[in-house]
Amino acid sequence: MRRPDHPIVNRTITWGFVGLSLLATSFASFGQEPASASDYVSRAEYDKLKAEHEALKQEMDELKTAVRQMANGTVPAIPAEGPSTAKATSPEGKQLVTTTTAPAASDAVPIETSGPLATHSFSIVGDAEFQFGKISHQHGAFMFADFAPIFLFRGGDRILFEAGFDFTIQNNAPGSSGYATTLNLSFATIDYIINDYVTFTGGNMLLPLGTYSERSAGWLNKFPDAPLPRSVLPGNGIGVQLRGGIPLGEKGASLTYSGFVINGPGSMDGSGDAGQLDLGGNVGLTSDGKLTNNLHGGAGEGGRVAIFWPWKPQYDLEVGVSGMSSRYDNAGRQQYNAGVVDASLHLGPSVEVKGEYMNTWVGTDNAGTIRPRGWWVQGGYKLAGLKLGLPYLDKLELVGRYDTVNDALGTWTKRGTVGAVYYVTNTLWLEGDYEFTSNRGPNPAPDDSLLFQISYGF
Amino acid sequence: MTTPHFFAVATIGAAVATIASPATAQTTAPASKTKVETTAATQEKIELSGAELWTLNCNRCHMIRSPGEFTAAQWEAIMMHMRVRANIPAAQAREILKFLQAGAGK
Ligand code: HEC
Repeated sequence: MRRPDHPIVNRTITWGFVGLSLLATSFASFGQEPASASDYVSRAEYDKLKAEHEALKQEMDELKTAVRQMANGTVPAIPAEGPSTAKATSPEGKQLVTTTTAPAASDAVPIETSGPLATHSFSIVGDAEFQFGKISHQHGAFMFADFAPIFLFRGGDRILFEAGFDFTIQNNAPGSSGYATTLNLSFATIDYIINDYVTFTGGNMLLPLGTYSERSAGWLNKFPDAPLPRSVLPGNGIGVQLRGGIPLGEKGASLTYSGFVINGPGSMDGSGDAGQLDLGGNVGLTSDGKLTNNLHGGAGEGGRVAIFWPWKPQYDLEVGVSGMSSRYDNAGRQQYNAGVVDASLHLGPSVEVKGEYMNTWVGTDNAGTIRPRGWWVQGGYKLAGLKLGLPYLDKLELVGRYDTVNDALGTWTKRGTVGAVYYVTNTLWLEGDYEFTSNRGPNPAPDDSLLFQISYGF
Repeated sequence: MTTPHFFAVATIGAAVATIASPATAQTTAPASKTKVETTAATQEKIELSGAELWTLNCNRCHMIRSPGEFTAAQWEAIMMHMRVRANIPAAQAREILKFLQAGAGK
């Protein structure tokens, strides 16, 4: 802040009026008179200021944004933003930004800031699921599956804070009464838009290994559970990421990328023995609060590149390759590597097919390199495509999925799911599915099950 | 062993190349001359309207969400969320936002 010497005082007053006239323009939609300015200034002065204001308006992008936001009623008392005058624009094109507290124009003090001020806004979105499950040879049960709010906090044009939580309830262990509520943090990141092509993301991130983790909210997934082979990949990671999209041509196609560096997975008992890989651990802090560093001292890195190719509305193909690589045992001797190929295809408004293939290579102390791997594919057909014009059938989508996972410890599980989604609205769904499961190996096969779910996105 | 490493390095490489590319340096461009050039470079030519881009992009991961479902201010945060989540090119995201805000709920 500068000392209030003479020219500055003059400037302050001028800016006070510019602020006032700005406010007046932006509130003109409410039919207000221009701030009864005639009480304080002559018509000529007012017109002069108005002309200055018009000139400034043309020059300043930031100003335009601020005015538009005011017109939207987002932040009615937002400080007007803009460079103090053309004189303040240095030869290199660097801009000094002066802010004026508009409502109290008379005692407004110009403040130099290094950039436009943020306009804050806060929203809560998310989804909720409620399930009824009937597993063969067992009683059916209602299950409150999930309440998953997402907090979005937008601080200006470049910063977004997003945090997603999952609330679930479960019975306590057999023999004890009551139930427990669990709260999980699914993701919490700060996103900073560096420029049109690069966004920085930091925090607890959903990982772009394939697409499932980043696109799995209840009202996005047409099945009540995740594909089995997702168990060979970490869903989250603590670290940083750079990501963005580059347009290809003018028909809406794009090349997208995400590259991340995270702590990487850990080991349950610290060793590099087969079966000890812990894809969900290693968040940088142990439960006793003591260790505030990476369990294995090495970073995990990875990313995804994809092409999104629409050739006409509702007809598109997206193909991506992704992978990651990290140490996982405490000694940092053994490596976890993953490679994923994903694809998603839309043929008109009724047909969707998508899937992923994932292969991992896990170095172990006692079993050499093992390869937990699997793949899944799912398809959906919206009956509206048949153009039957029948009120209920038109809101139904038939879905099917095949998923399989080989844990590389001897068990190989296969599952087929058939079901339907009834769209009450675009985000309120009723889902019904039957899952047939079979497996080979030491672990018993999960029983076949019938699942109903209500999913709601808000 | 080396294959996933390749993916990782390739994506990070792509990111670094993107930052380093002069066409994207508009935020750091020190001289006004460069600034003019880069402004021109960042004005992606988009043939498609906001509404068309909305139908292309916004119903591939989930059912399409209509402009009237959220207010103009909420759309601003949601579009930022979607732009980041779906890696939607900035110029397209801006057109879509304009379209959504024009029909936004009150
Ligand atoms: C890459 C997949 C993808 C694309 C493309 C996509 N979305 Fe989303 N969208 C999601 C996911 C995933 C969520 C659930 C929120 C989460 O998981 O953080 C979501 C949530 C939403 C929500 C709920 C509010 C919120 O912010 O969570 C709205 C509204 C929405 N999307 C609108 C859009 C619009 C408009 C577009 C087109 C620009 C779009 N989406 C494109 C994946 C996508």
